[in-house]
Amino acid sequence: MAIGDYPAEYNPKVHGPYDPARYYGTPDTPFSQLKLGEVTEWVGRRNKSPKAIAGLFSRAYWRWSHKYVQPKRATVAPLIHILAGSMIFFYAINYGKFVHHRNYKYH
Amino acid sequence: MLSRLALRSELFRVAPLCANAVRTTQTKPAVATTNESIIVPGFPKPNGQPQPNPYDGPERDLVNFPRMVRLEEPAKTRYLFVPEEWFEVFYKKTGVTGPYVLAAGVTTYLLSKEIWVVEHEFPYVLATIGLFYVGWKKFGTSLAAFLDKEIDEYEASCNAGRKSEIDGLKETIEHQKKEIWRTEAQKHVIQAKRENVALQLEAIYRERALQAYNQVKRRLDYQLDLANLTRTVQQRHMVNWIIENVLKSLTNEQEKQSFKKCMTDLQALAAKA
Repeated sequence: MAIGDYPAEYNPKVHGPYDPARYYGTPDTPFSQLKLGEVTEWVGRRNKSPKAIAGLFSRAYWRWSHKYVQPKRATVAPLIHILAGSMIFFYAINYGKFVHHRNYKYH
Repeated sequence: MLSRLALRSELFRVAPLCANAVRTTQTKPAVATTNESIIVPGFPKPNGQPQPNPYDGPERDLVNFPRMVRLEEPAKTRYLFVPEEWFEVFYKKTGVTGPYVLAAGVTTYLLSKEIWVVEHEFPYVLATIGLFYVGWKKFGTSLAAFLDKEIDEYEASCNAGRKSEIDGLKETIEHQKKEIWRTEAQKHVIQAKRENVALQLEAIYRERALQAYNQVKRRLDYQLDLANLTRTVQQRHMVNWIIENVLKSLTNEQEKQSFKKCMTDLQALAAKA
């Protein structure tokens, strides 16, 4: 499996056209349905290779894209998402400089 | 060596040129049948053969992996960009004010602990929010209507070719159905033509039968006339022959006797009268 290939689990004969927002492996219990004690075990089961993490972000991007960008009557929401996200991102990377502008010594 | 030279000479180039000329007149492009490089589902291969759609096989799982459909409306949001689901997560535990309380609480915490530092660029956040609010209230509805109209027109223009083709094919089907309906009349026409031909055949048959009858009658009449004529001629000949021979056999004595006899008969008749 080289870069740019479909995931190994994807089989066009069964799954049809490739959906980049979809995970084609065997699904685990969704994170939102876990109990607190199962979280560490759940995280331990995850595939933490760089490729898997890149796939995670790719699927998240496509899910967001299908939800807000691709629809026929898309709104301004994705634009604001990008704007707000970039504001937070740049605030975070410049946080070391902003910290010096604090007005109070004690909080 | 010589044969190679001969193969390279101009004389032998004629044949490939002819082959090319033949090839260009073919209706289908000459592509090797083994060329599998251009495979798009639903389109014919370069060699003109239909190609199977790899997604339409019997093993396709349409229940768990249905066809992807482009959404008409995007997911619901509040305040232009906050996903509706984020609010619904709180409803079971906290009621409808929960998310607002959390947002306000977190913001207060960040500001009061100066994690979110209020420095000289802080007003830009408020200005951006204000700009979006004013733009939303002032231009939101009209811009949405304009964009909806644009996208509808664009989609209609994209579908126009397909739609016109479908309409044309439907029209053709209707036309063909009408033609089928019309050809039902042809049955009656053909029936009438058959009857007409049968009538003509009958007329010809009768005409020929009459002709045969007339010809036979003419021949029979001829035979009859011939027989009658033969008999008449024979009779006349016999009569002439007998009279001739009788007259020849008569002597002068007999003539005188008969003459006398005639005279006596006449006198007797005259006496009676």
